[in-house]
Amino acid sequence: MDDSALYALVSSPTAMDLIHKLSITALVLLSLITAGMLIQHQVSTKGLQGSANTRKIDLKKYYEDRMARDAEIFAEVIQLQEQKQFSQALEKLEEIRTAHPDNPQSYVYQAQLEYSQGQLAAAIHSYRQAVDNEPDYVDKKTPLFIGNTMLELINEARGKLQREKKLKPKDRTILIALDDLLYLQRRIAGGCE
Amino acid sequence: MARFKVPDLAIITGAALGLGAVTLTLLGNPANSGICISCFMENLAGALQLQDNMRMSYIRPELIGFLLGSFFMAKKSKRFHVTGGSSPIIRFFLGFFIIVGCAVFIGCPIKMILRLAAGDLTAVAAVLGLVFGIWLGTKYIRAGVFLDREKQMPTINGYIFPAIGVLLLIFLVLKPGFIHQGETGPAAQRAPLLIALAIGLIIGGLAQRSGLCITGGIRNFLLVRETTLLYGVITTFITAMLLSMVSGQFNLGLEGQPASHMGHGWTFLAMTLVGLASVMIDGCPFRQVIKAGQGDIDAGITCFGMLTGAAFVITWLLRSTSAGPSFNGKIAVLVGLIFCVIVALNYRKLTGKRGRSHT
Repeated sequence: MDDSALYALVSSPTAMDLIHKLSITALVLLSLITAGMLIQHQVSTKGLQGSANTRKIDLKKYYEDRMARDAEIFAEVIQLQEQKQFSQALEKLEEIRTAHPDNPQSYVYQAQLEYSQGQLAAAIHSYRQAVDNEPDYVDKKTPLFIGNTMLELINEARGKLQREKKLKPKDRTILIALDDLLYLQRRIAGGCE
Repeated sequence: MARFKVPDLAIITGAALGLGAVTLTLLGNPANSGICISCFMENLAGALQLQDNMRMSYIRPELIGFLLGSFFMAKKSKRFHVTGGSSPIIRFFLGFFIIVGCAVFIGCPIKMILRLAAGDLTAVAAVLGLVFGIWLGTKYIRAGVFLDREKQMPTINGYIFPAIGVLLLIFLVLKPGFIHQGETGPAAQRAPLLIALAIGLIIGGLAQRSGLCITGGIRNFLLVRETTLLYGVITTFITAMLLSMVSGQFNLGLEGQPASHMGHGWTFLAMTLVGLASVMIDGCPFRQVIKAGQGDIDAGITCFGMLTGAAFVITWLLRSTSAGPSFNGKIAVLVGLIFCVIVALNYRKLTGKRGRSHT
């Protein structure tokens, strides 16, 4: 059936005929039912989902729990680090990483240990891995933020690496380290990810 | 409002855009991203669960403000004209690829201006790419490439997009379970809702009235040396730069810039895609949102394309990060450019055939 055949079926419509009135009534009823259902659902799920404030408290607790758990997992590494037994700490860290491969905190400790041993390029790379695995490390709004520590390292390493680049312009290790450094710098600066 | 002439309005809108964007950053939006349509679309896609990155999931009130501000202004000034039906699927995909281009640069043309105004010299390649893309677009226009003419549509069509704006606002306020809202990352960096909404409404209303468009301003200048909108664009840059300097956000250089990367060649190509596609659909991403609010169904379809693109750039990694553009993103930019050229060539042929058939 084409359009003209359909138009032929149309009986002269008036502004407020029966079909028009019924449609408006149905529209009002459907809107009321929908609004009622939404309000009821919103009220009943409010308690389950919690308010924005509750969510913030949940998030705070999540970070507290996580940091406490990390402190427990890496307790021996921290102890060895404090005793300046860096190579033993790195060995212990490797053991922990095997047991907890998804824990990005290991990269942070690795970076700290490498930094303590004067391995700036390696430390920067480890921080990059940490940030890639856990963006919260450069998120000022979370307690995991360690951007300022990284910036200290970046500021210390930049001059050194640039001097080394002048001496060995084709050294890939130096180029990668500089790339890692600039990447970290951009991530710490913030903005959209 | 009626006392102002259009050139004044373009400058006022430009100033409001620059001022509003930097203010939003100062109030909590991500650095250099006070206003960015592509970032906002990515956030919206996340909030609607079209992509699953919680850190990029939030219904930005500014976006709603642009849409509704434009709608109210169009209604008030009797400029609410419901039109559509011009190559919808082409517009959808051009909108899609515009967001791909923006995601590879990390920012829409407005954010490009904001980044540059904050001293981010990595945005220079983007400016060059965008201008080159617009220049290409003007060459195509001169060669007779136009999408179909739009037609008058039943009024109900024009209310769909403002209604979506209202619905999003309801979602934003009521926060139903199916709407995601990130509490970390860029999603958590947000200006207070009411202020963001108010700034969006003001800018949306002014932009509707003035027709301010980043790509449109440059296109008009390249095409007919018309400078009205270009002055608006320049005003946005100057206002944002002055405010960035005053507020201590200005940081001149290539290094350590927020949400940037050093893939300048890909930035150039990505923004070439954005410029070219924007000329073909007659407006930058911001302008598409404004036009959707004033009853332009074609622009609304483009917005749907942009939203779809925003979801795909995250899920398929068709974008850049601070590490640089992804392989997928590079390929997507090239595919986008190929798509634009194919469309241009086909529409040029169509125009020619029609022209001949009429004579």
